[in-house]
Amino acid sequence: MTAETPATVRSASKGPWVRAWGRFSSNGAALAGLAILVPILVLVISYPLWWPYSPNDIDLRALNQAPGPVHWLGTDGVGRDILARLMQGGRISLTVAVVSVAISIVIGFLVGAIASFGGKVVDNGVMRLVDLAMTLPPVIFLLVLASIAGTGVAPTIVVISLLSWPVLSRMVRARLLELRERDFVVAARGMGASLPHLLFRHGLPNSIDILVVYATLQIANAILLEAGLSFLGLGIAPPEASWGNMLNAARSTVVLEQYVWQWMFPGGALVLTVLAINFLGDGLRDAFDPRSDLN
Amino acid sequence: MVLALSVLVFILLRLAPGDPIDAYVNPASPLSPDAMQALRDRLGLDAPLPVQYFGWLRAAVTGDLGFSIQRVGVPVLPLVLERIGPTLLLMAAGLAIAIVVGITAGIISAVRRNSPTDIGFSVLAFVGISSPAFLTALLGLYFFSVQLRWAPSGGMLTPGAGFSLGDLLAHLVLPACLLSIGHAALIMRYMRASLLEVLNQDYVRTARAKGVREFFVIVKHAVRNALLPVITLIGSTIGIAVGGAIFIESVFNWPGMGLLLVNAVETRDYPVIMGATLVIGATVIVVNLLTDITYAAVDPRIQVA
Amino acid sequence: MTLKTTTRSLALAALLGATALTLPALAQDPSTITGGFDVGPGGFQGNFNPLAATSGLTWLSVYYEPLVIYNAELTQLEGALASEWSMSEDQREITFTLVEETWHDGEAFTSADVKFTLELAKNAAAGSVFAARLGAITSVDTPDDRTVVVKLSNPDTGLLSTLAQVMILPQHALKDIAPEELATSTWWATTPIGTGPYKFTQYVTDQYVELAADEDYRNGRPLTDRLINRYFDNSAAAVAALRAGEIDFTYVEPDDAATLADNADYRVIEGASFVVNYVGFNHMVGLWDDVRVRKAFMHAIDRQAIIESLYGGAAEAANCGYVADQLVPADIDQYEYDPDKARALLAEAGWSEINGDKPITWLTYYNTPLAANVMAAVQAMLSQVGINVVPRVVDTPTYNGIVYKEGTPDWNEFPLVYAGLQNGPNPAGINVGLNESQLPPNGANIMRVQNRMLSAAFDAALGETDPVAAEARWQDVCRVMNAELPWATMWVANRYGVASNDLVDFVWTPAPAGGPFASHPEKWSKSE
Repeated sequence: MTAETPATVRSASKGPWVRAWGRFSSNGAALAGLAILVPILVLVISYPLWWPYSPNDIDLRALNQAPGPVHWLGTDGVGRDILARLMQGGRISLTVAVVSVAISIVIGFLVGAIASFGGKVVDNGVMRLVDLAMTLPPVIFLLVLASIAGTGVAPTIVVISLLSWPVLSRMVRARLLELRERDFVVAARGMGASLPHLLFRHGLPNSIDILVVYATLQIANAILLEAGLSFLGLGIAPPEASWGNMLNAARSTVVLEQYVWQWMFPGGALVLTVLAINFLGDGLRDAFDPRSDLN
Repeated sequence: MVLALSVLVFILLRLAPGDPIDAYVNPASPLSPDAMQALRDRLGLDAPLPVQYFGWLRAAVTGDLGFSIQRVGVPVLPLVLERIGPTLLLMAAGLAIAIVVGITAGIISAVRRNSPTDIGFSVLAFVGISSPAFLTALLGLYFFSVQLRWAPSGGMLTPGAGFSLGDLLAHLVLPACLLSIGHAALIMRYMRASLLEVLNQDYVRTARAKGVREFFVIVKHAVRNALLPVITLIGSTIGIAVGGAIFIESVFNWPGMGLLLVNAVETRDYPVIMGATLVIGATVIVVNLLTDITYAAVDPRIQVA
Repeated sequence: MTLKTTTRSLALAALLGATALTLPALAQDPSTITGGFDVGPGGFQGNFNPLAATSGLTWLSVYYEPLVIYNAELTQLEGALASEWSMSEDQREITFTLVEETWHDGEAFTSADVKFTLELAKNAAAGSVFAARLGAITSVDTPDDRTVVVKLSNPDTGLLSTLAQVMILPQHALKDIAPEELATSTWWATTPIGTGPYKFTQYVTDQYVELAADEDYRNGRPLTDRLINRYFDNSAAAVAALRAGEIDFTYVEPDDAATLADNADYRVIEGASFVVNYVGFNHMVGLWDDVRVRKAFMHAIDRQAIIESLYGGAAEAANCGYVADQLVPADIDQYEYDPDKARALLAEAGWSEINGDKPITWLTYYNTPLAANVMAAVQAMLSQVGINVVPRVVDTPTYNGIVYKEGTPDWNEFPLVYAGLQNGPNPAGINVGLNESQLPPNGANIMRVQNRMLSAAFDAALGETDPVAAEARWQDVCRVMNAELPWATMWVANRYGVASNDLVDFVWTPAPAGGPFASHPEKWSKSE
């Protein structure tokens, strides 16, 4: 579920990566983020193994029960176990975030790369498109898109991924434009290297740091977007659990004040996860920034 | 650009399931086909879509954005225009609070680097960035309006009470503060980082070495230069602020563009969605331009092209 | 610099707001009742045109009035602008005697206004949603200023109920507007006049509507000076405003009603919704052809448990389209909860061959938390007997777009729905959803029910003009529905409103489409 755990990062190559890891591991906040995130991931992935309730099992004799020895985190309005829904909701929210970010990275990288290697006309055209996509405030675009795509896991992923690639493609383009003029790329082109060769042999390795940092921070963003969409009733539709639609219950003042556990746990999980990912992303950004050694 | 935007939005809306007419029919008490057809005729929904688009475009050039489908007989342009004021007011108030709080906290954090205050502020900022706007809005509404009754639960003015500045401010304070949270956090972090960088630079060290008092070093030299990236940040997040405002407006029933758009999307009110998107897009473009100009004013090295 | 721009736009925005919303200063604070009168399923925020009112009639009837109106219990009609009325022997002529009243601008209300309004309401070109329902009217005669004679082509038992929803409009104010332009006229939301106890003052777009007392109302000057109808996006926001003390009344969801019932500051008003909820079988998909499968649904769903726990007991299980005693025969199948029987029925029908455990989409437009809980409960109960349904919630426009799609809809988009249809006070309400003659586009038989026995039962009941005999006919309809199960009928739930205890003589009921009903707003007052 996490492509950016330090293990994979470290094995990609040596030299700068090792130094980056050094910087990363000396960043307290980033390590704290990792320390929060890893247990959350483990719990969310493994919950069917250790928790007897499943997220959609109802119990009409146990509605709105407060946390206790049977249901650790209480039950909701149809007697579903909050802990089970919290875990399942985590799976859904994180899956939506990770998959949509993965898609947007592919689109963003390809668009950015094509713009930078494709010549002036292509570059201009593509960048106008990106400008256009960036003009619309994201949430508004999201609203319009979501009202078209409908509710559910797949449409939500589509909507969020369609929204997140333009910024990335700009960053990739900027990096690759710089790279294009470097000797080894000029040489490769001179020797008649194909576009895919240029992109994946030279472009990808040289923009991987942007991709990793962006992906991490964007996952945090995507989790918040999913929650917001579900809150407006346009994201994941019940009975499927997601942190966003569990929080939707807090619209009712009854739930807000009497059944605190129904929104506080998903709310807490959401904020904590996003917080941890933000810490992590921040740490990664500093780690990849050679200047941060100077401070 | 705005034109391309309108085509994009129009094509997207064309893909949407459902017909605006369907928003009028309550499934529990359906209409007869005659009544449906009468409604359809009245709303002008039978023209082919390209005709609808070009008709819209031709009129739009002259400032006529057509009529709302949902609010029968209400022209879109005044409807959208009267919503800009409240949204700008909310965003301006929210941003103003965010700027004051964010920059102050950023300066304090940078100056007292690694002190408990700095760590406290930084953690708060991270929590602010990581909290969904709708959740803080709901909680704020519940505590300050329902429980404490300090502030009204929604709207912009007390219904029927007539206009008074005090009333407006009373309605504004809570949503503006809640809107400012995410932004204050972001600004604080940028301000802190930017100021730390500046404080490390030679001319600041020189000033210090010359014995200029620390307070003046920070205020006169460092802050002014550290503000540059922060201003760019503020400009580039206007679009995000509009997004945050949608949730705040929806929770507080604030009569702004966000609420208008959410309602229009719910009822498939194409003319209003088009008009609102167009105006929001144009506003964002203008605001970005304004940021560029502001930037140029603060930093003489940059010329506005 | 940024601050300066900010301040400037702030001042500009404040100025804009100020010019748009300035009101003349009032010397003395007028007494005011504020409510969320258009919150909930009976409301229609933003509609000001009574001819287009598919709901929202509770509020419209505060400043307009119909000829006749249901009482607050919705059991019988009483006079409004008509003091009395009589039906001819052959049921083809109704004579109305009108009250003395003036329009809010001082002009006299006469029979000419009634004739004008009924002709307008019959005219589909005017955007009237009543056109088809008033089809039986052949002429409206006005022998004198206080008498109206309505002639019908054939007896129509539903006509008076329809007339109870037609608000009488002022001829002198509207006669110069062409009927085709009436629907888009700005008159409705700017300068409308009616005959009701309150007159229209202003509408602040999407915020509230303000009315002022009509000084010379025939039943006495209203006790309260102003009524304000505040708009809310959802009932949760209205409840927040109620609890913050900003409004005196709103519709609420059952959960909120239960909580506020313990609060001494509020009075909870409960009433039947007159909407029967059902699980609709799409008769075109082939999954539900065997009646044993449909019966299995009834036995598999523990309706009593859902009513007890989720509705807090405030609903009545429906074994046909009706729950009213006089419409339900005593001997029909009660479909007790019995999952074993459901499994047996499914096995007999060969469910494993028909569908087995493949997921079946269950479409709905109900997007309240309560409905989500109900559907989750039903989903779990059905999975116990081996039916795998997957709820899909869409907004109303999308729902209508799917089920009414022109040509051939994609039946697999809605093999199963969760929906409701108005079943009272007039029992003819559900005909439109079940009679063969009402297949779309002619009617709202969206589940494409084509059962000859059922259609015949409906036709017989609709054609019966004798009220006592009609009840027996509607019982027949119920009996056929119970045996044939075109829908799995679930329940008729209660709906709620909450009023502040400061309100005196306040009358409200959760009438379908908002009624209207005789709420006598002129008697409402607020103790301080």
